[in-house]
Amino acid sequence: MESADLSQHISRRFNEDLERVRARVLAMGGFVEAQIGKAISALVEGDSSLGQSVVQDDLQINAMEVSIDEECSRILATRAPAAGDLRLIVAIIKVITDLERMGDECEKVGHIAARLAVEERPANKYREVKHLGRLVQSMVHDSLDAFARMDAQAALRVARMDRAIDEEYEAIQRQSITFMMEDPRAISRALDIMWVVRALERIGDHAKNICEYVIYMVHGKDIRHVKLEDVETELGASG
Amino acid sequence: MVGIGLLVGWAIDSIAWGVTLALGVELARQLSSLHQFGEWLRNRNRRSPPDAEGLWGDLISQVSRLHRRKQFHKQRILNLFRELRRSTASMPDGVIALNVAREIVWFNRKAAELLDLKRRSDFGIQIASLVRVPELTRYLEQKEFNTNLIVHPRIDESMALQFQGVPYGEGQMFLLVRDVTRQVQLETMRKDFVANASHELRSPLTVISGYLETLALDDTLPDDLRAPVLEMRRQAERMTAIIADLLELSRLEATDEQVVGSQIDITALLSLLCKDLQSRDGDRHALEVRIESADGLMGDPGLVHSAFWNLLDNAAKYTPIGGRIMLRWWTDEAGGHFSVKDTGRGIAAEHLPRLTERFYRVDAGRARESGGSGLGLAIVRHVLDRHGGQLEIQSVEGEGSEFTCHFPPLRLAAVAKSGASGYAPAQDS
Repeated sequence: MESADLSQHISRRFNEDLERVRARVLAMGGFVEAQIGKAISALVEGDSSLGQSVVQDDLQINAMEVSIDEECSRILATRAPAAGDLRLIVAIIKVITDLERMGDECEKVGHIAARLAVEERPANKYREVKHLGRLVQSMVHDSLDAFARMDAQAALRVARMDRAIDEEYEAIQRQSITFMMEDPRAISRALDIMWVVRALERIGDHAKNICEYVIYMVHGKDIRHVKLEDVETELGASG
Repeated sequence: MVGIGLLVGWAIDSIAWGVTLALGVELARQLSSLHQFGEWLRNRNRRSPPDAEGLWGDLISQVSRLHRRKQFHKQRILNLFRELRRSTASMPDGVIALNVAREIVWFNRKAAELLDLKRRSDFGIQIASLVRVPELTRYLEQKEFNTNLIVHPRIDESMALQFQGVPYGEGQMFLLVRDVTRQVQLETMRKDFVANASHELRSPLTVISGYLETLALDDTLPDDLRAPVLEMRRQAERMTAIIADLLELSRLEATDEQVVGSQIDITALLSLLCKDLQSRDGDRHALEVRIESADGLMGDPGLVHSAFWNLLDNAAKYTPIGGRIMLRWWTDEAGGHFSVKDTGRGIAAEHLPRLTERFYRVDAGRARESGGSGLGLAIVRHVLDRHGGQLEIQSVEGEGSEFTCHFPPLRLAAVAKSGASGYAPAQDS
């Protein structure tokens, strides 16, 4: 196991550095998870001040990314890690980029939520957006769990969830088009909702990326741009 | 043995050979005993100790006694440990043991169930990495754990978990986890009920007050009805005030997030408050205002006004005519402070801790006469909570009371005015 590897370094300080930076990535992940939840409930409940606070808090995510990035550069420069440690640092640098993008998408959703809060909510109270939001939230949660546990199997399972999200996204898209054709007055709001679901779908993609980095970190295999089925058979053969 | 060797040596005419032979036989015997002993030590749990005499027998019995005693203690500790594990597993609350680095050392079944922890993989991982709630990360960073933390951890927002840290040893701690979903729901229901009931009561009360107002002004009202109508009007006014306070309190309770707010000019706020009080009470009390800092406060102007007004109003109510009320605003390293000091009746020490509870009365009869709602200090406390501040109450019975609001340094805002220095020294004493 990778976590056992971490305790084998001769330099205890190096261990602590790696552990700390990993914990900070996960703390940042927790913050992003909370942002996603807040952005969705700001929209669904029509809470404009919650939407505003999501927009404001994005600054904190950006600050976290910068400071973790610096920490990683420092570790690379001073410790010159190799093998698993190097993969961990590389993966972390990528994970925080994706987390920061997720934060940006939340900011968008928060912005739109604050704007739509003044308007009357539709009859279905954004039920389908809420459903998609649930899916995305649990996908982000599980991908970060896989990262914390260095669990490649779980990462692969989570990566597969992305398809369900894509399907849901397309369904909402079709539905919105129908709404727009039925009632031209609804076009402006439907366009806003399209932006929201687009942002949520992007967050799902970023979560999938994180899963790919977990597999890279554990097995040393780059599975980007490879079909998930092929990855499965390959990992099954090697593991 | 050597004797037998000598004898044999004499018999075969070579004493040296005889002795050598005897020593060789003796050595072989000793070595075989040693071998047996070693063999037994290796498999001491399965075999009974070998028979031997003399020194070896002694040694073997000593070692086997030691071994038995060790086995006995080991079994006892093992039993104790199993018992402990079984009992904690059946505990209704989740328990997680954390080391200094806040890594999971151990957890029970309930904790695994509540937090989705996995027995196989999660030991040695930092708890905050798995339960990624920003509030918990902050909670675990603190030094002392006097408070609980309630969070909504999972995607399922309705679930509420309460965390409590119990430190032990040198930096290790237990983290207790409890499912408080039901309590939180009940608390929400209670708040909603208070808010709704107050809101619903307001409209009929407005109608009643309106008619009473007209009646009281009516000159044709018979004299024997005038006193009851006036009393009814006064009570209706009091009820309106209570409902207004209840509504304000439920608005404050709706969220416990810190307010961001804007910059408040304390000088202007205090002069406004004094003017309000004087227009109501006239010159019943001597008012004294000391502003020792030009710094303003970052907060919600409406809430801060309401908190300060409640303190001033209380002081005016409980201070006899001719008494003095002192308002003071000052800043230091600990932050900003606003105090209201009066020369009123004072409050007995046993009442102080409960003073900010709703409807808590030091002296039920007299307080009602003065027309308060009994919610003023509860409002003050909530306003301060939302600003990260604290309320301090000092009182000596018969001499007067002092209520002080403490605001943290990050709530201070320097007023950018030319000529006004950041800090003005106290005038006297």
